[in-house]
Amino acid sequence: MLEKLKEIIVNYVEVEPEQITAESRFVEDLGFTSFDFMSMLGEIEEEFDVEVDQREAAGLRTVGEAAEYLGKL
Amino acid sequence: MVCNTIREILVQAQERFGDKDAVRYKTGKDQIESKTYTQLRKDSEHFSGALKSMEMQGAHVAVVGMTSYYWLVAYLGTVNCSSVAVPLDVALPAAELCELLDRADVSVLVYDEIRADVAELAKKNCPKLKKIISMQKETAEGEIFSMKQLLEESDSGFDAWANPEDLCTIMFTSGTTGKSKGVMLTHRNIAENATCLDMRIPSRTVILSVLPVHHAYCLSMDILKGISLGSIICINDSIMRVAKNIKLFGPDMILMVPMMIESFAKKLEDASALPPEIVKKEVFGERLHTICSGGAYLNPAWITLFEKYGITILQGYGMTECAPVISTNLEWNRKFGSVGKLMPNCAAKVVDEEIWVKGSSVMQGYYQMEKETKETLTEDGWLRTGDLGYVDEDGFIFLTGRKKNLIITKNGENVSPEEIENKLSEHRLVQEVLARESEGVIEAEIFPDLEYAEKQGVADISAELQKIIDDYNKEAPLYKKVAKLKVRDQEFEKTAARKIKRC
Repeated sequence: MLEKLKEIIVNYVEVEPEQITAESRFVEDLGFTSFDFMSMLGEIEEEFDVEVDQREAAGLRTVGEAAEYLGKL
Repeated sequence: MVCNTIREILVQAQERFGDKDAVRYKTGKDQIESKTYTQLRKDSEHFSGALKSMEMQGAHVAVVGMTSYYWLVAYLGTVNCSSVAVPLDVALPAAELCELLDRADVSVLVYDEIRADVAELAKKNCPKLKKIISMQKETAEGEIFSMKQLLEESDSGFDAWANPEDLCTIMFTSGTTGKSKGVMLTHRNIAENATCLDMRIPSRTVILSVLPVHHAYCLSMDILKGISLGSIICINDSIMRVAKNIKLFGPDMILMVPMMIESFAKKLEDASALPPEIVKKEVFGERLHTICSGGAYLNPAWITLFEKYGITILQGYGMTECAPVISTNLEWNRKFGSVGKLMPNCAAKVVDEEIWVKGSSVMQGYYQMEKETKETLTEDGWLRTGDLGYVDEDGFIFLTGRKKNLIITKNGENVSPEEIENKLSEHRLVQEVLARESEGVIEAEIFPDLEYAEKQGVADISAELQKIIDDYNKEAPLYKKVAKLKVRDQEFEKTAARKIKRC
């Protein structure tokens, strides 16, 4: 999941996949705006055919947290 | 047709477009349900009837929820019968929402089940609250009413009619400093704002509503203007799914804030090697032709970029205190870099560089905040916007910054930091920037885009940033020149709304 997530992240921000770690924070480290972040979750819903809970998703701060959350869906 | 009550907007639309779709929304993945203008009017009138039978006609009714058909029914039903709607931000913490319910003297709370916690807390903490209504419950549970049941069992037998000068809505401004303020707007304030300008939008235009509905801009422009024109208002179920819902609903027009536009702009830039027609279809669907933008500064470069893809961005300007639109660009009447021409119901003048406006959309004041009202409204009805700018010879407004952020240099010249920040931000290396006064000169503090620097192989970031400043200084008048540069290694501290805190 982490690897797949990295591939998606690079479509939203100017970062190379190898620079992304589980500890990278979306807003502070990767430069996501809140709208970019939400749009990416929408893309993930499509790609993996899952339903993301917007309120739970809003609490995800790092790439690792997101990968873990998505892995459980 | 200019309307001066919200009821008039709804009734004239229902008479013209009765059995045509008014609202479309998702009920499941890729499943769409719709309601006609006749259903919307009938349901809202039944809600008014329910308020009457609860003896709540004229009461303050808070609505807390995401945009939904039932949200619209609750809002329109409240204002139909001369009650006062208090739309609240669904994302606020429960304790804060309860404080606002109390401050706005709310007697009826209509809530979305995603905020059942607010209903629970309000029962205990809001003694002024008399009735609680759930938007989703099928039947009443204990002291909580079911909105669906109320609509079924009620009729349209309400008998209080709103006049144009009656208080219609109290909207809380989020405010970057201090306590949020309840902006009091009458029917005339809101209804005329939504209907006084002919934007030449054809009836049956498909609008996708993506902004939070408790914001004046969304309520006035998406919902009330949409209804007045007989539009099809499509509800975006989540900010996560804007791109997907564009494909699903096929809108002609969307209202956005600049942050969203910027996000789409990045996608367009990434796809710049592909033919524009293909990219346009993929990103915006076949029909989208207009994006109305407001709420913050928009980089004019995006307007040019979107034009390549056949999308017109119309930047406007407003504030909740003006219900909310003050000016807007129009497709056939616009100027690059401006926020457009004044609305027909609005006059403006510039006092000490600050824009003052007057007209039928200017608020009545802040609810139970006399001191703040006096600071904002003059005795003869001018609203001090707090925005600095000028009106050019053709009546277009140009904004230069916020009054409270103004830099006053040693020799007494006034400079808007936003003007400098916007210029410097045009460079990709500048991720965040603040301009301020420091020991009598202007200093720019910059947090560079480190990823970008690495990618571009920038070895000496400070030197590169200084070059950007030097280039800016070449063009800038003497009193706007940046004399000092400070480079940050961490990003700036932000407010909850992700705006940089100025200190």
